[in-house]
Amino acid sequence: MANGKDDRRRAAPDPGNTLFIVYVGFVMFIVLLSMVVDSYAAVDSSENQEVTLSGIRQGALLFATNGNEGKFVAAPQLSKDVEIYISAMTARTMVRQRFVNGTDQWQEAIYVFPLPDESAVDQLRMRIGDRVIEGEIKEKEEAKTVYEQAKKEGKKASLLSQERPNIFTMAVANIAPGEEIEVEIEFQQVVALSNGIFSLRFPMVVGPRYIPGSPGIHDREQESLHFSGTGWAMDTDQVPDASRITPPVAPSGEQNLNPVRLMVELAAGFSIARVESLYHGIIVADEERDVKLIRFDGNVKADRDFVLEWEAAQQARPQAALFSEKRGSDTYLLMMLSPPILDSSKQAPPRELVFVLDTSGSMAGTSIVQAREALILAISRLTDHDRFNVIEFNSTASKLFEHAEAADAEHRKQAIRFVSSLKANGGTEIAKALDLALDGKQNHERIRQVMFLTDGSVGNEKELLATIASRLGDSRLFTVGIGSAPNSYFMSRAAVMGRGSYTYIGKTSEVEQKMGRLFQKLEHPAITDITLKTSSGRSLQSYPDPIPDLYAGEPLVVSLKIPEGTEQEMLNISGRLGVERWQESLNLKTLAERSGVATLWARKKIRSLVDTLALGAKEDHVRKEVLDTALTHHLVSRYTSLVAVEKQVSRPLEEDISQSVLKNNLPHGWQAQKIFGGTAQTATPAQLRMIMGVLLLLAAFLLLYWNRRQRV
Amino acid sequence: MKAWALRITAFALLTSGGFLLADGCWIRTKAVLAQILLQHAWEQTLTSGRQTKPWPWADTWPVARLQVQRLGIDLIVLEGDSGEVLAFGPGHLPASSAPSDNGHCILAGHRDTSFQFLQYLKKDDVVTLQTSNGRLQSYRVRETMIHGAEELYFQESDSFALTLLTCYPFDTLRANTNLRYIVFAEKS
Repeated sequence: MANGKDDRRRAAPDPGNTLFIVYVGFVMFIVLLSMVVDSYAAVDSSENQEVTLSGIRQGALLFATNGNEGKFVAAPQLSKDVEIYISAMTARTMVRQRFVNGTDQWQEAIYVFPLPDESAVDQLRMRIGDRVIEGEIKEKEEAKTVYEQAKKEGKKASLLSQERPNIFTMAVANIAPGEEIEVEIEFQQVVALSNGIFSLRFPMVVGPRYIPGSPGIHDREQESLHFSGTGWAMDTDQVPDASRITPPVAPSGEQNLNPVRLMVELAAGFSIARVESLYHGIIVADEERDVKLIRFDGNVKADRDFVLEWEAAQQARPQAALFSEKRGSDTYLLMMLSPPILDSSKQAPPRELVFVLDTSGSMAGTSIVQAREALILAISRLTDHDRFNVIEFNSTASKLFEHAEAADAEHRKQAIRFVSSLKANGGTEIAKALDLALDGKQNHERIRQVMFLTDGSVGNEKELLATIASRLGDSRLFTVGIGSAPNSYFMSRAAVMGRGSYTYIGKTSEVEQKMGRLFQKLEHPAITDITLKTSSGRSLQSYPDPIPDLYAGEPLVVSLKIPEGTEQEMLNISGRLGVERWQESLNLKTLAERSGVATLWARKKIRSLVDTLALGAKEDHVRKEVLDTALTHHLVSRYTSLVAVEKQVSRPLEEDISQSVLKNNLPHGWQAQKIFGGTAQTATPAQLRMIMGVLLLLAAFLLLYWNRRQRV
Repeated sequence: MKAWALRITAFALLTSGGFLLADGCWIRTKAVLAQILLQHAWEQTLTSGRQTKPWPWADTWPVARLQVQRLGIDLIVLEGDSGEVLAFGPGHLPASSAPSDNGHCILAGHRDTSFQFLQYLKKDDVVTLQTSNGRLQSYRVRETMIHGAEELYFQESDSFALTLLTCYPFDTLRANTNLRYIVFAEKS
């Protein structure tokens, strides 16, 4: 039977074999073709480079990689304990971070984290078992060298440096497999107060940033913070729309990476009517009279900033505050200046408003529409009591009225007609507009407010700032940034120079709200030219310097150091309310002592010094001054870092250390927005299929070979 | 009976093995063959100034030409980042700025075909992008990095910036990885 079958096969032309040859030929063809492809793709690989960690420098997060082999290792786990002690206007925060190395390798952990704006970081402590190692303040470069040296020698070390004004990195070297290291940092900050509501914000995550697109990131530090830093934190002058980046959105279901425990002791110094956490569940307990203890309701995921708000009971509203701290022979003060309550508008001097509108080509499109809308809104809010003028500029600058006119119905109508007809084209000659708008005069009979609406696309920023400084007189400059990408850096600087404020309008829908807030502020009289003197007539330097104007509902917090020998004197605060003088005196004899006041002074001084860099101060000089202050007050700054090094060696030198970067939770609500890359599937199964194919073919051939042998 | 089962198995193995091998090779071959058709479509785009589909049933069109002289790379970039598009060449992420615009343009490609060369790009390499109006824009590589796919966010830029994106690691068999290799370049 078997023979017969064989015969038939031989006799008939064998379609199976022919097909097989065609089949093999086809496979060979494709394999050859793909080899051509491979050789086409295999370009020079001699200089295969390592991936840099530079992402971290920008606050970007985060990947875990073993630098040596390109192999991925699990990152150490981290948990965080936060304790905040609020005492009247100041808050001391202690953050305890626990790094656990769950891998079987020695690890270096790098962790990027945000702290509140203007927080003064002055303590670093490393705990290994029972041992505590205190951090020392050193010049940034020196601290890094000390850390690297310790890392190489196998000693445990940690390094805390400031990357941006509010973004810090912590590096911990030589964590043994299975070991746990605790690192504590402490910082001091001032509690915010606006319209009678006190608030404190503790940022929990660094927003993941895509790689910055704007050039010269170092020169434009403030602007680049839009995303990473202040971004989700406070509504600041730089990023006035920041709070909209943290909307409450449904949780994304991601794993809880960095659990946080939080405790706040609130000793407000007055009886508290309301305590509230805006985004997290809390439990409030009464500790003693006027002291409250606040805890998270359970373990909270670190994906949204913690914001605590409190208010004084109606009868206990504080109007002023003055705290002091003695360090050595120096006495430091922290003072809250509240605007005096004014009975009616008759005290307020008349205002003169100058509106300056950029109609250059870069404003074309929605920008000019927003600007026109904002300006029309501004003009229609004027009263007969005010005087005003409108200046338009592109390649040239022109005024609507020769001199400022009374804002009566007729003039208002005329101005609105003028503004509605404005179109955007031509160059941007801001200097000419500044010349027209700022008169350099001092005239106390009126309050002169210049409102500058532009996208600020200029190149000669330094010259312009100098012009503002020299021609300001007693005018105040309020810059309003328009469009999707205004030059916020320049405009916030210009506002500081012009002693006004910067408002950013990103969308047409925001015009009304943002401009409304600005007008409300401007319509109320402010106390200007505030100076501080001792009763013997010595003038005192304070920070911020100069002291900004004092607007209704917005108390100012000022730090100063009083010279030796003046402790028995009075402190005179004087300013002007239009033509009238305004003065208050404080007794320096009975001061409420609070620790941290000196640290806050130093932080404000450093901030003030760093700010002068943007105005053209010499880096060498600023660096020296900042170093001096930071080293004396034990502060982490742009030029200083805290470093803690263990004396004994813990890692045997023959074992390698691998580096890992801790993963942060994504800020709440960000995950669904604008994610890209995750959707693009940028790998093919080609290689896998080819290998599987070859394996299957091999199996088939083996099977056939075995079959034949059996039959022979 | 036994021999019969054996032969069936061998035949099944031959078929599926051959199919897998052919398919795997086809994915790579397709990427190369497609680029030839795409080059042609690109020439037409440049001369006519209109979007030209590389083949009649295509659901994408060339938007730019990407060149790296040092590595001898010359690729036509397509619009879109779907699997169908990326099979033929690198794709432009529709959410990012257009290659010709002043902004942040993001291109994605397969790590084992069109964008295999990303691993060899290094700092200061020059990447040239020709846009549909014929203009050549040079970018200089500023850095390369690796991130998890879900950690990537798009930041707008007010100057020319180019990001090239592919899966990472380059030499792995797994088709679904969560890591992305990123090359960031800026106008030079």
